[in-house]
Order: sequence, then structure tokens, then C-alpha cells
Amino acid sequence: MTHDNFQEKLSEWLDGELDASMSAAVASHLGACPACRREAELLRRLGPALFRAPAAADPRATEAFIARVMSRVEADAVSLWERLSARVLAPALGLALAALMLSIALPGPDEDAPLGVAAVSIDVETAFEVAP
Amino acid sequence: MDAPGPADAELARRAADGDDAAFAELVRRHAPRVRALCAATLGGPAEAEDAAQETFLKAHRALPRYTGASSFGTWLHRIAVNHCLDLLRAAGRRRSDSLEALLEADSAALGRALSEPSSAQSLEDRDTVARLLARLPPEQRLALTLREADGMSYEEIAAAMSCSLDSVKARIKRSRAYLLKLSRHFPGPDIV
Ligand SMILES: [Zn+2]
Repeated sequence: MTHDNFQEKLSEWLDGELDASMSAAVASHLGACPACRREAELLRRLGPALFRAPAAADPRATEAFIARVMSRVEADAVSLWERLSARVLAPALGLALAALMLSIALPGPDEDAPLGVAAVSIDVETAFEVAP
Repeated sequence: MDAPGPADAELARRAADGDDAAFAELVRRHAPRVRALCAATLGGPAEAEDAAQETFLKAHRALPRYTGASSFGTWLHRIAVNHCLDLLRAAGRRRSDSLEALLEADSAALGRALSEPSSAQSLEDRDTVARLLARLPPEQRLALTLREADGMSYEEIAAAMSCSLDSVKARIKRSRAYLLKLSRHFPGPDIV
């Protein structure tokens, strides 16, 4: 392998993700190549430069976090229920109401049919409008 | 994770049945890692905190679909990773001008941090760090973060990001190469 090939392997080598024989080969090249040693050292420093070790979790902060999550979970459950009501229950209620209107508005044998039908279509619309 | 009391899977089952106390206990057990992941992955503390809460909210909604095929921690972590990735992608679509305006200064700061003899020197200015990481494609940034901040193996990262091992290798390698290139391209005055 050439110097360039080894340099390509440094990132994986650093993470301990090379198999044993490749890892040994990289290590031995590093012993002989100052440029790769320098590159490997810079790569190694990148992580600590950019990512700080997370601070130990403060128990009070954890409790506050749990409280916020649980209140959101609760609000979420409420809004789920509301959405469910709006989508399923209210239209169902509307339909039931409409059916009721229909049964009331259904023309008797002696009445004019067109009038009865018009009354029903208005009732259905009103029921759907007020529902959600 | 060995915690006293009922196992995670048992708590997850109870929580799916509407037991909020069981879910609160799951939050207690897993909040530190999820919050640390979001903090390391996302730019601002407020954004990270919100993302951590959203992660648990999403998990709560998805509980009925949790089969127990993987550990609850792994399953939750995957939700966190995906949520962070979504946020990073959205942020990438509205990249700010300050990112470009401060490129030279940020890169020089990175160059200085890397040339410090005391090697484990973290960049003090977290805004600089946030801007530097924001230059990486979201997938590269997340893979690098999972490796460097969470200490995950490539195999674990591949599972969390639902991608191949080769993608993980390439993403991490490219992100490091890019950051090193930045630090060299705009060397600070005190670098020989
Ligand atoms: Zn070399």
C-alpha cells in the first residue's frame, strides 16, 4: 500500500474499525511516516475540539425535563382526542342529527314531496357545519 | 440498561396501554442520552431541548407499534436520530448568511484549536462549532456526531441511520477531511 492508501485508512484506524492485520499495517506505516502521524493526530483532535463531553445530568434538570415531556404527552393526548372527535365523532353526531331531521321532515303521504326533500338537504348541511 | 424496577419492555407495554407513570419512568431512564445526543447534534440549546422533548413525544405516539424486536433504548435512539436528521435537513434548506460571512474566522478558530499542544482542547465558542458543523451535509454531520459524541461503533451508526457500513465509513471520513481542509485553508496568523 502507498502512503496515500494509508492516509485514506486513518479515519477508520482512529475509530478502531479496521481488522487486525490492516490496523497493524497502518500502525507500522505511522511509525515510518511523519506526515501520516501528523494527519492522524489532527484527525484525532477534531472530535475533542468540536464535541464536549456531555455534562453529568443534573437530577433537577432531569425532573424538569420529565415534567415538560409529560405535560406535552398529556396535551398531545387531549389534542388527539379533539382531532378524533372532530373527524369521527362530530360527523357521526351530525349524521345522527341529520337522520333525526330526515325522519321528522319526511313528508307524510299527503304532503308535497319536493318541499320535504329541500328541508332535509338544508338540515344535513347545518348539522355538518356546526359539528366541528 | 440495567435499572432497578420493571424492565423497559414491561414499562413500554404499560405505557402503550395508557400508563403515564410508566412512560415517565422511561423518560427518566433515557432522557440523559437522548438530551446529550440532541445537544451534540443540533446547534442551539433551546432547539436541542425541544428536539429531545419531541423525540419522547414521537415515541409515545409510536408506542403501539413498538414490537420489542430491539431494546427500547435502541428503538428510542433511532427515533431521536431520525428526528435530528429531519431538523438538520430543514435547517440546511435555510442556511444563514452568517455561515458564509464567518467562514474564514471559524475555520481559523478551528485551526488554532487543532494546533494547541494541549490536544483535548475544545473550541470555547459554541457558535463557531455550530456554524462549522452546519456546513456539513446532514448525514455526514450526524454520523460524525454519533461517533465522536456518542461513541457509537460504525455498525451501531449504520443501524441507527438505516444505511450501509460503507456509507458510515465514507460519511465520517469525508466530514473529517472537510473540516481539516477548512482548518488548513484559512490558517490563523499564529499557525506556522
Ligand atoms: Zn504516510
